[in-house]
Amino acid sequence: MSDVTASPSVRALAREKQIDLEILAKDLGRTTLTREDVAAGASGPAAADGTIYWDVDHSQYGPVSEEPMSRFAQVAAQNLAAAQTLIPAVTHHDRADVSAIETFRKALKPEAEARGVKLTGLAFQVKALARALKEFPRFNASLSADGKTLTLKHYIHIGIAVDSPFGLSVPVIRDVDKKGLWEIAADIGDLAARAQERKVRPNEMGGASMTITNLGGIGGTAFSPIVNPPELAILGITRAEITPIWDGEMFQPVPMVPLDLSYDHRVINGADAARFTTYLVNLIADPRRIMV
Amino acid sequence: MAVNHAEFVVLGAGPGGYACAFRAADLGLNVTLVDPRADLGGVCLNEGCIPSKALLHAAEVIREARHVGDWGISFGEPKIDLNKLREKKNGIVKHLTDGLTGLAKRRKVNVVRGTASFTGPTGLEIDGAAWSFDQAVIAVGSSPVRLPGWPDDERIWDSGSALELRQVPKRLAIVGGGIIGLEMATIYAALGSNVTIIEFMEQIAPGADAEAVRILHDVLQQQGVIIHTGTKVVEVKATKAALGLSCEGVFDGEVKADAVIQAVGRSANGHLVNPQAAGVAIDARGIIAVDATCRTNVDNIFAIGDVTGNPMLAHRATHQGHVAAEVACGHAGALDTDFIPSVAYTSPELAWVGLIAATAKERGIPHKVSRFPWAASGRNLASGGGDGMTKLVYDPDTKRILGATIIGRNAGELLAELVLAMEMGATLEDIALTVHAHPTLSETIAFASERALGTLTDL
Repeated sequence: MSDVTASPSVRALAREKQIDLEILAKDLGRTTLTREDVAAGASGPAAADGTIYWDVDHSQYGPVSEEPMSRFAQVAAQNLAAAQTLIPAVTHHDRADVSAIETFRKALKPEAEARGVKLTGLAFQVKALARALKEFPRFNASLSADGKTLTLKHYIHIGIAVDSPFGLSVPVIRDVDKKGLWEIAADIGDLAARAQERKVRPNEMGGASMTITNLGGIGGTAFSPIVNPPELAILGITRAEITPIWDGEMFQPVPMVPLDLSYDHRVINGADAARFTTYLVNLIADPRRIMV
Repeated sequence: MAVNHAEFVVLGAGPGGYACAFRAADLGLNVTLVDPRADLGGVCLNEGCIPSKALLHAAEVIREARHVGDWGISFGEPKIDLNKLREKKNGIVKHLTDGLTGLAKRRKVNVVRGTASFTGPTGLEIDGAAWSFDQAVIAVGSSPVRLPGWPDDERIWDSGSALELRQVPKRLAIVGGGIIGLEMATIYAALGSNVTIIEFMEQIAPGADAEAVRILHDVLQQQGVIIHTGTKVVEVKATKAALGLSCEGVFDGEVKADAVIQAVGRSANGHLVNPQAAGVAIDARGIIAVDATCRTNVDNIFAIGDVTGNPMLAHRATHQGHVAAEVACGHAGALDTDFIPSVAYTSPELAWVGLIAATAKERGIPHKVSRFPWAASGRNLASGGGDGMTKLVYDPDTKRILGATIIGRNAGELLAELVLAMEMGATLEDIALTVHAHPTLSETIAFASERALGTLTDL
C-alpha cells in the first residue's frame, strides 16, 4: 500500500493529469493529497519534478553520446539538489595568512618523514576549525526537520569532502578536538586513500559538526560550496597565494589562503558568520592560539 | 466471404463483459458483445451470485421462522415446494437478464450469440464466421475446478448444478469450505440436507480472519453442518446407494453422501478463446495477465474479470470492465486499488477487506487490532442476531485503517463503509467522529474505532 493518502477521485485526476502522487507528496512534504494539490500540480510530471527542463533531444543540435549515472552519483545528486533547495545558504569569503603554518610545517618535515605521516596544511585547517567550533557552539549544531529545535553537539567531528573516480564522498574524522595534529594528519591520509578505493565504511561517514571542502591542491580563488545537511555550514578552501599585504608601511608578500564559509541563514546570521570566520582566520594566522 | 467487422468487441457477457460493453457504448464506441449463453449476465446472473442469493434468502426465511420460536411465535415446520422455489429463483434471474437485454438494446450494443476464438491480432471467428476487430476485450470468466480422478456421476455437482436445485439430498457432502462451499452449505442445510463440509486447509474460508471464521464455524455446527478441516478427499466411490468419500487428515474415514458438491475453486477460461493466435500471453492455468489498465501484452486487446486471475469476484470484473472501456477510448483509467471486498453470504455473513491481522503479522507490517463484539450491540440483539464481531486492523502511528472484518447479519452491506474509509485514507478518529445512527449495526464500526481510541462508552 502506498504511504500517500489520496481519495479515489483525486487519484483519478492525477492519472488524467499524469501526475505521480508519490513525487507530488514528496515535493509538498506531505503524506495526504487533496484535489487542490493535484489541480495546482499543473499539467504533467514536468510540474512535479521539473523534468521538462531536461527533457531535450540534444542530438538535434549535433552528435552526442550517453553514459549512465552511477547509483553513487545519483544519490549524491539527489542530496545536493535537496540541500540547495531546502537551505537558504549564504557564502562568506575571507582569507588567512598561512605563513606561520607553512614555517611550522617545514620545521616538522623531518619528523613527519620519520613518522611516515604527510603533514598537510589541511590538517592545520581541521584543527583550527575544531577550535573555532568550540568557541562558537551554535555552528556545531543541527536544526530539526520542523525547524523548531536546534540540537547543539557536544562533540567535534569534521567531515572532509573527497573527490574520487566514483564521485564525491565525505568521510568524517571523529573527536578532532581531542586529537593531536599527527593523529589528524594520519586520519586524513588514511580516509582519503580509502575513499579513492570506495573502502570507507558507512559508520565512518555522517554525523559531522562541519565539513571542509578543499580545492587548494587544484586551484581557484573562491567558490560557493553547498552546505551538507544536517550540518549548518561548510568551509571551502582554495589555493593559497602569495599576496601583497599592506603592513602599515609597505606591501609584504604573504601566503594567503582563501576561505569560503557557506552557512544556513535560518540559524546563522551574517554578523555571526563574519565573527566566526574572523576568529578562524586569526587562529590560522597564529596557530599557537589553537592551544590557548 | 464477407468479413464482419467490430470496432470494439467484448468476448463474454458476464458482469465484467456487459459493464465494459455498456461503458464503451456510452463513450461512443460501436460495440459488439459476444456470448454463447442465451441470456446475458454470465455466471454471476445465471448460475452464481444472483441465484445463490435468491436461495440464501429462502434459507434465511426458513431459519428466521425457526428462531422466532423463542419469541413466542411459531409457524410450524416449513413446507418446501421445490418446484415453486426454483421457479421463483429462475424468475428473478430472468427478470435481471431481460433487464440487461433491454440495457444493451438501448445502447445499440450488437449482441452476438456464439463462441468466439481468436485467429490473429485483429481477427476472430465466431461460430465459424470470420470477424475483424480494432480492439477486443477478453471477459470469458472462469469455470468450477473439476477434481481429477473422480467418477462421472450425476450426483456430483458443481456450484452451477447445485443452484439448479434438482433435489434436496438427504446427505450432502461439500468438498471445499471456501465462500462458494459455505454458501451452498447454508442453503442446503436450511432446506433440510445433512451437510458435511470437507476442507483441505486448516480453516474454512481460507484467507479470512481466523477469529471471525471461528464464529462462523461454530454457528454452522449449531445449524447441524459437520465440518472437517485439514482433511483431504483421497478417493470417491460411487455405488447405487451412495457416494463414498474416503478422507485423510484431521478426519480419517468415509463420508457417505447422496450428492456431492465440488467447490474447490474456479479456474480461468482463457484457453477457450485461443488467445495465442492473437499473440496474447496466457499461462498454464488459463490466466491472462494484465496491467492496471487491463491491457494484455498486445496493445489492442484487453482482458478483465476472472480470466485475469484472483480475486475472481464480480465487482472486480465490473470495475475492470469500466477501466478497459475507458482506456480503449483514450481515457486515463486504471484499477489502482488493493481494496477488493470479499463477502460470504452465509448466516451470519462474513465480509472482509484489506489486511487481516495474521497477514499483517506475517509481513511484519506494524498494526493493531480493535474488536467490537456484537453481543454488546443493541440493534443486533433486538433483531434476533446471534454472535458477531466487527474487527479493525489499523496502523498504530497514523491510525489509518489497514483492513476490516465483519462477521454478523448484513456484514456484506456494512463493509462498504470501511472500504470507502480505506479508499479515503480515513483514520479511526474520522470514523469515530462520524455520527452513526442508533440503533444500527453500523454503529459497531464506530464502536470498534472508539474502542481503539479509548473513547468508547458502550463497553
